Amino acid sequence: MAARTLDITGLTCPMTWVKTKLELERLMPGDVLTVACPPGEALENVPRSAAEAGHDVAVEGTIVRIVRR
Amino acid sequence: MNSRRSFLRDLAVAARDVTAQQPAPVPAPPAPARASIPGDDLERYSRQLVLPEWSEAAQLALHGASVLVVGAGALGSPVALYLAGAGVGRLGIVDSDDVELSNLHRQPLHFTPDIGAPKAQSAAAKLRFLNPGVVVEPYQARLQDANAPAMIEGSDLVVDCSDSFATRYAVNAACCAAGVPLVEGGVIGMSGLVMGIRPGQSACYRCAFPEPPPPGSVASCAEAGVLGPAAGVIGSMQALEAIKLLTGVGEPLLDAFLQVDLATHGFLRVAVTRRDDCPDCGPA
Repeated sequence: MAARTLDITGLTCPMTWVKTKLELERLMPGDVLTVACPPGEALENVPRSAAEAGHDVAVEGTIVRIVRR
Repeated sequence: MNSRRSFLRDLAVAARDVTAQQPAPVPAPPAPARASIPGDDLERYSRQLVLPEWSEAAQLALHGASVLVVGAGALGSPVALYLAGAGVGRLGIVDSDDVELSNLHRQPLHFTPDIGAPKAQSAAAKLRFLNPGVVVEPYQARLQDANAPAMIEGSDLVVDCSDSFATRYAVNAACCAAGVPLVEGGVIGMSGLVMGIRPGQSACYRCAFPEPPPPGSVASCAEAGVLGPAAGVIGSMQALEAIKLLTGVGEPLLDAFLQVDLATHGFLRVAVTRRDDCPDCGPA
């Protein structure tokens, strides 16, 4: 399983989820995407959107770990 | 007020500049395929990219597509605006008419300073303002039986926004012969019709309507009138069906047409089957 990282700390919503979503589309099922997220709105929206899309999501501080479904 | 005047003046200049250009004699080759969406385009298309049903592949499919819009009037305006906005790579706009004062209530591609300008050119100017990333090719011509095959050549999809049955049947026949998907539409008064067609796979316009109505039996738009928002609804639906057919997103309206009565909010889906004796799409 591949692991990728993505830094979206310089972005605002909804570009935070746009970048994350497109990165997830490039991964295979089971691959892990570790996202460095800015605090605030994005830290709520990105994990929620990822979970709604069916991925497994874990949040530690401002790091969002997503396992592609 | 000054900024509004300046905006209208810019538009008029742009329309005049475009008018000075000759239409390309042959369609340009399709835009080269992209492997990913450039950064600026991510923001432009962000509100469709975030859709769960949408994807980078869908966006790139639009970018790689060449679509011919037949007619730049009441239906062609919303169709071309939405397709350009969505990021279709190449848009050909066919219309032989000039902008008239009586067009403006229902044709949002054209503004008062455009009166007298060719519609194809006026449309192209606005579409380039909307999305400079789209290659827009205006064709100041009337699509007929004789030139239809050449006009649709190279297109991945055609949206018929014409206002005559002769053009509609010519477009259908040419698309069936070339195997080019087609979205048909029509509007009059407060009602209209939309139909998606994958030639060889689904019923074509002629399968649904084997013969054009006798001349004089159906009132024209000029005689019967049309409300702008009604045309906007039908044109918007045509644009949506075009996007579905190009990207595979959603369920296209195939083997059926949608009859829409906007006076009473009636949406009737009428199933259509391919006809063995259809002269356009051949045996099923």
